[in-house]
Amino acid sequence: MEAPTARLLTDFLDSTVLLEQTQYEEGFKDGYRDGVASGKEEGREVGLKHGFEVGEELGFYRGCIEVWKSAIMIDPNSFSSRVQKRIGQLAELAENYPLFQPENQNVQEMMDSIRLNFKIISVNMGVKLEYEGRSRTSKQDLEDIVV
Amino acid sequence: MSEIDLVDGNLALKEIQKLDGHTDRVWSLAWNPAAGAGGLPPTLASCSGDKTARIWQQGPSGSWNCTAVLEDAHNRTVRSCAWSPCGKLLATGSFDATTAIWQQIGGDFECVATLEGHENEVKGVAWNSSGSFLATCSRDKSVWIWEMQPGNEFDCASVLHGHTQDVKMVQWHPHLDVLVSVSYDNSIRIWIEDGDLNGWSCVQTLGETSSGHSSTVWALSFSSGGDRMVTCSDDLTMKIWDTTNNPSEDGSWDGIIATGAADDSICLFHETKDSLVGGLSYSLILKKDKAHDMDVNSVQWNPNEPKILASASDDGSIKLWRLTQVP
Repeated sequence: MEAPTARLLTDFLDSTVLLEQTQYEEGFKDGYRDGVASGKEEGREVGLKHGFEVGEELGFYRGCIEVWKSAIMIDPNSFSSRVQKRIGQLAELAENYPLFQPENQNVQEMMDSIRLNFKIISVNMGVKLEYEGRSRTSKQDLEDIVV
Repeated sequence: MSEIDLVDGNLALKEIQKLDGHTDRVWSLAWNPAAGAGGLPPTLASCSGDKTARIWQQGPSGSWNCTAVLEDAHNRTVRSCAWSPCGKLLATGSFDATTAIWQQIGGDFECVATLEGHENEVKGVAWNSSGSFLATCSRDKSVWIWEMQPGNEFDCASVLHGHTQDVKMVQWHPHLDVLVSVSYDNSIRIWIEDGDLNGWSCVQTLGETSSGHSSTVWALSFSSGGDRMVTCSDDLTMKIWDTTNNPSEDGSWDGIIATGAADDSICLFHETKDSLVGGLSYSLILKKDKAHDMDVNSVQWNPNEPKILASASDDGSIKLWRLTQVP
């Protein structure tokens, strides 16, 4: 019967033949464990930074909206009717921004829409009002650098 | 144009006068649409790299003079100018990112409004047919629509995003509130007001895949009836578009298309009914080589005197031409 001898042979050689395999698996486990740890840490940092930026910008617009709305309450003629309509639109957009859904595909579009409406309002009011401090490295800016 | 036989040839562009005065390249020209009626003599506005716009008028003797210099409103090149349909206001768009509105008060032109909002160079300005809207376009890739309120107040009605590069020119349809823009991104975009949140949206984009241009589209012009539009491009072609409700191969268009180019020449094109080709085709009916010493930036037909053409050049001069038939 060749079976026992064959098995002995396979077993004997196993640890050598499979050395690469076992080392690979060990290394993979180590890397995965370390990666999960550092990934979590990095993710937390990036999320905090990005969340702060979004929150700060949205907060700025909401602050402006609150002041304008108060002014309108005190004196309904503070702004023209079309500016008031735009302020209403901006308030709605800011309200609907999904703060708790960072993976929502539409967030960039919604923020662009908010920025656009804000710009039109400030131009029509004749004031130079701009949110400063947001990271200027948008996809568009990177494109500009490349082209 | 009926007295000139365009088919037989023997056409010439005769130089009537050369207007000097600007101290840098002249970018754009605009004929005052209200001239002729009510005693206003033929009036032409020009704008230049010398940061000013100038008004030129034809005197009783027939010769042209510079009657006003519009300065101190812009601190960079004035790139484009356009008269409102009533002829009372002139809009000037500048590389300083602002658009100035001028009105003649007494004998002088005064800047009565400054429109700020674009992030960088304003490239084009255009009024719609009723004078209620002014459109401006810029290197910032956007087109702004301004609505005129009483007292020369302008409200920004809408900011249009869509182009992916510098927007070179905007023009309104001669009687509909339809806006067309052309850009460094090789496309032509058509915008109308549609009750959207932003009011205006792009209803059609004519890019390379829709038989559009393959390089920067520099300019566009509508036929006076609004049924045809011509665009010209860096790809060395001009394209004529059917802008009617029922695009067809029939119909004719009496207009002559004038073009100026970086080869210092002015070319005139007209429709030919070539029964061999079938359908519509356009051919070159005149080429004026060395019309200027440098690039020709703008050519404009006088809307009130159809055979008169004005041209503006990098050489700082403006020339007035008459289209004639030589025996």
